[in-house]
Amino acid sequence: MKKYSIVLMSLLVFTLIVSACSSGNGGNKGTGNKGGANTPPTETTSEPPAEEDITQKKVKISIYYPTPDLVEARALEDDKIRRFNEVYPNVEIVKSDWQYNPNEIGIKMAANEAPTLFNTYATEGKFLAEKGWAADITELFSSYEFEDQMNPVLQDLFTIDGKKYGIAQRGYPTGVVVNKKLLENKNVELPPFNWTWEQMLQTAQAVSEPNAGISGIAPMGKGNEAGWNWTNFLFTAGGDIQQVNDGKVTAIFNSEAGIKALEFYHKLKWEANAIPQDWALGWGDAVGAFAQGRTAMVIAGPDGPVDQALNQGGMSIEDILVYPIPAYEQGGKHYGVLGGDFLVINPNATQDEQKIAFYYATFDYFSDNGLESLERNIQERVNDNKFFVPAVLNYYKADSEYGLKETELFNKYDNVYQYGQETLELIDGKPESQYNTQDFYGSMTNVIQEVFSSKNVNLQDQMNVVERFVQEKFYDTIEP
Amino acid sequence: MESIEAEQLKRPNLNKSQKQRSFKGKGYLGGFLFVLPALVIFGLFLWLPIFKGVFNSFYIIDFVKGNTFNGFANYKTIFADPNVLISIKNTLYYMALALVIGFWVPIFFALCISEMRRFRGIARVAAYLPYVVPFVVLYGVWRWLYDPVGPINAVLKMIGIGQINFMVDRSWSMISIVIMETWQSFGSALLIYLAAILSVPRDWYEAAEIDGAGIWHRVRYITLPAIRNQIVLLLMLQLIATSQGFQTQYAMLDGGPNNATLTYALLIIRYAFVRQDYGVASALGVLMFLALSILAIIQYRMNNKGGIQ
Repeated sequence: MKKYSIVLMSLLVFTLIVSACSSGNGGNKGTGNKGGANTPPTETTSEPPAEEDITQKKVKISIYYPTPDLVEARALEDDKIRRFNEVYPNVEIVKSDWQYNPNEIGIKMAANEAPTLFNTYATEGKFLAEKGWAADITELFSSYEFEDQMNPVLQDLFTIDGKKYGIAQRGYPTGVVVNKKLLENKNVELPPFNWTWEQMLQTAQAVSEPNAGISGIAPMGKGNEAGWNWTNFLFTAGGDIQQVNDGKVTAIFNSEAGIKALEFYHKLKWEANAIPQDWALGWGDAVGAFAQGRTAMVIAGPDGPVDQALNQGGMSIEDILVYPIPAYEQGGKHYGVLGGDFLVINPNATQDEQKIAFYYATFDYFSDNGLESLERNIQERVNDNKFFVPAVLNYYKADSEYGLKETELFNKYDNVYQYGQETLELIDGKPESQYNTQDFYGSMTNVIQEVFSSKNVNLQDQMNVVERFVQEKFYDTIEP
Repeated sequence: MESIEAEQLKRPNLNKSQKQRSFKGKGYLGGFLFVLPALVIFGLFLWLPIFKGVFNSFYIIDFVKGNTFNGFANYKTIFADPNVLISIKNTLYYMALALVIGFWVPIFFALCISEMRRFRGIARVAAYLPYVVPFVVLYGVWRWLYDPVGPINAVLKMIGIGQINFMVDRSWSMISIVIMETWQSFGSALLIYLAAILSVPRDWYEAAEIDGAGIWHRVRYITLPAIRNQIVLLLMLQLIATSQGFQTQYAMLDGGPNNATLTYALLIIRYAFVRQDYGVASALGVLMFLALSILAIIQYRMNNKGGIQ
């Protein structure tokens, strides 16, 4: 009898462990005190609840916290937490080391481990909203006093079907960052800011020195970044990725513009020999090559490469120029793929947590305290011989009262990078496609690699194959 | 004497079968309790995921809205995807390269080190050292070595061979990865081979030397047969490991150039974490599980035949 009892006890313990370890429903449904997945807690009583004071409740949120290498950004965040807690002493803020990664978000959500407030990129709005991994914060925004002053160019990227799913932080239209010193050292004339593809090709060819390991330009050739870089040329040639009619998504990148953009890449490699011999470079590799002086030009959101070149590569502020993406021909548009950083609230969080997360995210927005904190940070950078690189686009409108105040602040300091006025006037952001953007980039990467690998590649054949693949594999599966 | 008799009188009068049953029962229970923690851990972290993987391969996995049964659709997707065939070919190529380029290296160096009379310890440590190099450092160092203006290409140009684009030349990219991985990992296999070689009785070599055997004959007729079990074991383990390889291909080239280093495991990673299609990724995993089971069965049978001890 005793041994049966022990066996039964063991089985009971085993069952309890299994129950404890499993999610129980294969999803994010019952999440205990965190509320249901994507479902706000519902009231069971018929009487409306009394309005509760959020400052009297104990609330705990976890927030996106910059990586350890971003010392200055961490200092800014620490200061913000301190000031926030002075206003909301009832809130406990937990710093989360997790940085948004499209390859990890599914697992984080499934395990209910994503922070209450996490960072993400401009490309992810629709994806997160459709997956139910971003809280609908339309209501919170509607009671936000500065809603009308938010920069619509950025904020609209996270507005889907009239609902808001993210809070804009900063953004950029993709541009070209140029190592002016490298051009001067090789007696290469600086191209005008309203340049064309042909001028970019000539500049890249002139500065390129393959035997010394120096390239004229480093278009990204690895990962989805390769497709993303190339899309700038598709846009400036007048092309687009997809067309949506009555919910039906059709690939339109296999066009005259698409072929022109591929031909340009082919020329950069096989005529000008202007790209790195080892062209399998992701974002970090290409930007790193720029900061090390191994390439004269890199295509990216301008603040990233400029920051790395100044603060890690040791380049001086006057040696770096930011250009818009060149126009296909003189007078054409200088489109750059629109990108940026956003904050998203975890839909698994309770209503109180969501509200506090929103307050935290917008705490410094349009506030003099935020400006003071930013100024202190810039001053600290002066002491450390570091530079502050502002974003090209911000959450506020550039010509708003707040925007002018910040510009005035930036003008006071020599260690703040200033974008050229001509560039700011020419640069033109174009949002990415609505559906399966990353899948499109990934598919185009193969074509770009083929262009860089084979001199005799048939560009039209390559485009036909990838168009069919993207249409059948991704677009045809989208339900109208 | 009296006390023993008294003790015997106190004991219940059990017949032989009763005694055996009681002993067996206690033995099973005690054994079961000892095995229970292992069963729980294996069940939760090995067997449950395997069953869950098979289960998921028949579903559209959605962590928020819940899973939807879709029959064999995930398997149909696999057979319709041209990248699957490419990845299988690449994986087989990678496995073959690892055998041709890498498998003999630890055996060769173990033989060399075993013949050393001095500095054997230093040689052993030196060979093992790359194994403890963090992957990030490893990739950085080899990216530099393979650079078009890096040291390897400098030597190649000097001797008149000319530059090789190790990373982006499709005919070289997988070979470059295998060379790098061989350099990094041969040390651990070397230690196993070296231990086996050093455990071969010295008398055998002395007798062979008296009979006039040279180094090659000693290796051919004594050492290699003596370490045959280790060779077979490590061969099986290498085949299983390389069939699942993706880390270097992902970190260094992300499967490029133009899918030249896209392995089967990397394709699973792409389906699961890039396309968020866990159902198809699970189906790919199930097929891989079946293929690897064949290797495991071969290893098990060889083990049972006494091939591996």
